[in-house]
Amino acid sequence: MGLRWYHFTAWGLFAIGLALLPEIVSKGTLRTFIFANYLVIFAISWDLLSGRTGYISFGHPFLIGIGAYTSAILTKRFGIDVELAIPIAVIVTMIGGLIVLLPALRIRGSYFALVTLAFMELMYQLVQVIRPDLTGGTRGMSGIQTLTRGAVNGFYFSSFLMFVIAISSWFLLRTRIGTALTAIGLNESAVEGSGLSVTKLKMFAFMASAFVAGLGGAFYVHYLGSLAPRALFDINFVFTIIVAVLIGGASTIIGPIIGALFLTFLLEYLRPYLPGAERYFIYGGIALLLYMYQPKGIYALITSGWQMLQEKSVK
Amino acid sequence: MTLALEIKNLVKTFGGLTATDNLNFDIKEGRSVGLIGPNGAGKTTVFSQIMGELQQTSGQISLFGTDLGTLPTSKRIRLGVSRTYQIPRPFLELSVVENIRVGLMPNSIWSMIIKGPDHTKEEKLALEVGLAETDFEKPASELSMGDLRKLELARTIATGAKVLLLDEVFAGLTTGEIAQISSLIQDLRAKGFTLLIVSHDLPALEPLIDHVIAIERGRIIATGNFKDVVNDESVRASYLGQAT
Repeated sequence: MGLRWYHFTAWGLFAIGLALLPEIVSKGTLRTFIFANYLVIFAISWDLLSGRTGYISFGHPFLIGIGAYTSAILTKRFGIDVELAIPIAVIVTMIGGLIVLLPALRIRGSYFALVTLAFMELMYQLVQVIRPDLTGGTRGMSGIQTLTRGAVNGFYFSSFLMFVIAISSWFLLRTRIGTALTAIGLNESAVEGSGLSVTKLKMFAFMASAFVAGLGGAFYVHYLGSLAPRALFDINFVFTIIVAVLIGGASTIIGPIIGALFLTFLLEYLRPYLPGAERYFIYGGIALLLYMYQPKGIYALITSGWQMLQEKSVK
Repeated sequence: MTLALEIKNLVKTFGGLTATDNLNFDIKEGRSVGLIGPNGAGKTTVFSQIMGELQQTSGQISLFGTDLGTLPTSKRIRLGVSRTYQIPRPFLELSVVENIRVGLMPNSIWSMIIKGPDHTKEEKLALEVGLAETDFEKPASELSMGDLRKLELARTIATGAKVLLLDEVFAGLTTGEIAQISSLIQDLRAKGFTLLIVSHDLPALEPLIDHVIAIERGRIIATGNFKDVVNDESVRASYLGQAT
């Protein structure tokens, strides 16, 4: 795995930083951090599939939605304990997503992206017409059981979840499976030509991505306490997830964390000046500039800056 | 001596074009065979069919007595046959050792996760094919064409295959690099690998093979030792574009 002392130090400092944050910032800022934490989870989930293998999914809210709706329906409509509802929601996300999206893994590029986008729209239409007594139809659901009360509890809870998902994904992707998934993104036929089953690897990436999406979706709905289909199955939501990964740095775990935090706070600070959708032009512009000059994102900017500093200090 | 590779009545058509026309040949284990022919003769199409990248229209391909049928490429490699490409296909953003690591990986997700990479084996393979220690952590995108061919050979060997199909291994190389790759192939022969080599560079090919098969339009036009085949009238005609 090539683990070094500074890896543990960095993760340790990150954990300490998260633990101390409520002492430093206001409750309003903590609430923004909570949204950032969930965006990190969704961005990591997207990156596990799309950032690594190059299969760009425009329909990730489809997976997040399965997790969120399953857990919300089980707890609110059937009175099942949330401790049981969330694991069931994760399993349903993995199975449901696999049945629907796996055939789509046979296609590549823009076709795959369009198929996944279509699934998201399909899910949006289906939750409105199929059993609206369960899904709440167009109005969605409210009064869903929440797991935390207050900004501080919500922050600690979401931070813990995000930290566990981030560090587990980081460990996982430092094994040979990470190299194999990255290799698929670089040259799929050469992976097959190295004796590896690309289908099996893609299925694994998809299941890992669905697991994180389902988990994030289920916990997110129990944070919000409500579910609005138009907000969940929204193209802006998809782009926020994708841009967070691309701005931070795809194919890394640190990248989506940086990207999601940057994007959430950028949008939040722009809100007083640009309350409408104009804000998206700003982050679209930043994403475009970054993509033109450093396609590997902010993480690559930081690492190359660090290397330059080291080289200067050696001279 | 057992047969490593056996091709029987192999036919591949693309619409009205017959790329492989009732091809028959076999290679005994540990032998090295050259496959020659002019551009468009169907040499690479034969490789692609052996590897399962193209499905034959009819005919049979057997590896150590096992019919490869419709097996996918990854399973054929596990059975012991692997290939290189005219244009190397490295993972450009991965380092040299990571490229070799992909070839060494087991086809089991669980093993990939719980067992770490075998750095000693990765580095040994890189050194064996003539890559320098200073190249180990370099991304493949920074390698010369000669080193990319070495890297591809290392990844192909890493799969554990005993039958190697080498496609235009000398294309785009300098004289020095051709000598290095030739010496590498001689080492593979000495280690008992079974080789099927496609090359347009006939002088470079000659010392590397036991015998040669010449094809044109997917059909064998001559077979035998190198000198007899290259002096064969039909082979000369096909290379020079003369009617026989």
